[in-house]
Amino acid sequence: MKELDLLKKDWKKNNTFEQVSEVDIYKMLHSKSSSIVKWIFIISILEILLWTSISVFFNTDDYLKKIKHEELNLFFEILTYFNYAVILVFIYLFYKNYVSISTTVSTKQLMKDILKTRKTVQCYVWYNLGMVAFSMMMGFFMAFTYNPEVVTLIDKMNNNTKIMVLTIGIFILLIATFMGLFWLFYRLVYGILLRRLYANYKELKKIDL
Amino acid sequence: MSNDLEQSFVQQLKTNQNIIHKICRLYTNGEDAHKDLFQEITIQLWKAFPKFRGDSKFSTWAYRVALNTAITLYRKSSKTVKTVDYEKQQFFISQEDYNYEEEERLKLMYQAVYQLNDIEKALIFMYLEDKDYAEISETLGISEVNARVKMNRIKGKLKKILNP
Repeated sequence: MKELDLLKKDWKKNNTFEQVSEVDIYKMLHSKSSSIVKWIFIISILEILLWTSISVFFNTDDYLKKIKHEELNLFFEILTYFNYAVILVFIYLFYKNYVSISTTVSTKQLMKDILKTRKTVQCYVWYNLGMVAFSMMMGFFMAFTYNPEVVTLIDKMNNNTKIMVLTIGIFILLIATFMGLFWLFYRLVYGILLRRLYANYKELKKIDL
Repeated sequence: MSNDLEQSFVQQLKTNQNIIHKICRLYTNGEDAHKDLFQEITIQLWKAFPKFRGDSKFSTWAYRVALNTAITLYRKSSKTVKTVDYEKQQFFISQEDYNYEEEERLKLMYQAVYQLNDIEKALIFMYLEDKDYAEISETLGISEVNARVKMNRIKGKLKKILNP
């Protein structure tokens, strides 16, 4: 076939391609992990935006005014700022992980970075869960000690241990349910990414004989 | 140890990268698709690299893995990639000894090749790379007879496309 020979001739002549460098190849090998870590970084930012926008709708000031303990405001403010500071530190760490993973050229270092990222995310999730538990307990504690309506209710209950035990049980259950919901949320959002990252890690380990 | 392995892989891939570029040229149109396929093939080669024992040449092994990657990927996206805008494929037109008639025939030929399916493209690729039927059969995992029959059918198909 004449055309096929013509094609072959042209095929052999046309061999100039933009050459890929060694660094490019290293980058290609590690790109999967870096895209996952990028998503962890993006999602953590989206998450802080979500919580901030929710907290705008729930104003603690009014509640504190109602129970006539505005001096607690300062405490809440400090708590909020502290929380934001910690979360910002985490976001910075996520960003740092992303940068180091996307620029790493050796597999050994990449594996180390993947483990570090996993640890960071796990710390972040535990911190958030701890914060949820802490603030819920604080909320209940304050309601019990400062809210006049609740205080009179407790006085009534003091005469009846059965109801007292029941109420405390319900509160504990409530905290547990909320914690469970948050845990599920984090498991869903970060769990999937972490599992993929870990799969990459195992793949790298297989290569790393 | 791992760094040695990785280094040797990157070195060999770098020297043999034209194999992948040529496969990308046949299976994709446009620069981005070319780069994507190049990266995908690189990752697949790297994944398969521990199994590469060095009893064949790196290039022979790379042909096999790279073509299989292209075939699998192309099959997945074959519903979306149907027509090829030839004008985008300007890099095929060689600058030297410009011969209008020959150029036109070549253009038609490339268009015809683009209309082949994933396996047929793989065979044409091996043919263009001057591989004999023994090597084609080994690379694509088909028998030598089957490779011959397929090649003849492809020639017939190309003729039909060129002279409808």
